[in-house]
Amino acid sequence: MPHILTKYFGSIEYREADVVRFPSGLPAFEQETEFVLIEPPSVAPMVFLQSLQQSSLCFLSLAILAIDPDYSLAVTAEDLQSLHLEPGRQPGIGGEIACLALLAVAENGRITANLLAPIVIDRASRRAVQAIRIDSTYSHQYQVAAPMGDVCS
Amino acid sequence: MLVIRRRAGESFLIDGNIEVEILEVGSTQVKLGIVAPKNIAILRKEVYITHEQNRAASREISILELASLADKLHR
Repeated sequence: MPHILTKYFGSIEYREADVVRFPSGLPAFEQETEFVLIEPPSVAPMVFLQSLQQSSLCFLSLAILAIDPDYSLAVTAEDLQSLHLEPGRQPGIGGEIACLALLAVAENGRITANLLAPIVIDRASRRAVQAIRIDSTYSHQYQVAAPMGDVCS
Repeated sequence: MLVIRRRAGESFLIDGNIEVEILEVGSTQVKLGIVAPKNIAILRKEVYITHEQNRAASREISILELASLADKLHR
């Protein structure tokens, strides 16, 4: 099995079948088209998206339903097309597709999730896209955890 | 916020060298044409926000922050 050097987990083996491909990369990382998902059971529901092209690039994400169990997708026709999914119908989260929200640490130490632009992965084809919403239903900085050292959290 | 009313075919200039022309006015959408120097990035707002958030998300998360998050998620 092939190996890669990862950002947080040293060198790991992975299966080709587990590689996720973003045909257009991600916004600000358009050249990054191949990632492997790392999901250590001890830190579920955290999912790491490790770049196959750059060992220093690894996004942390959470399954979107773990953040908002009622999250509803609004993938644009263009993004549905890049996933090779049928236009005019939102795919079902947890069924044919997996849906993740990328996490970032803001300056104030808060960990936030980007619910405005979720990562949508077609489980069967392993094609993925960061589906930027055009509505303002969800926030790009939804607070998932307060800063460390917050006594009340 | 500066609010301007324009009709289709009319324009405005930003900083003297960025021109925005209203090409078409529809019932739910407006078509705009933008002429700007090549070094000026023009992005739909939500795309710009996603770029910024992705850059923030690509930054290193310390083991402490990871452990703290894992702990909070399991409560």
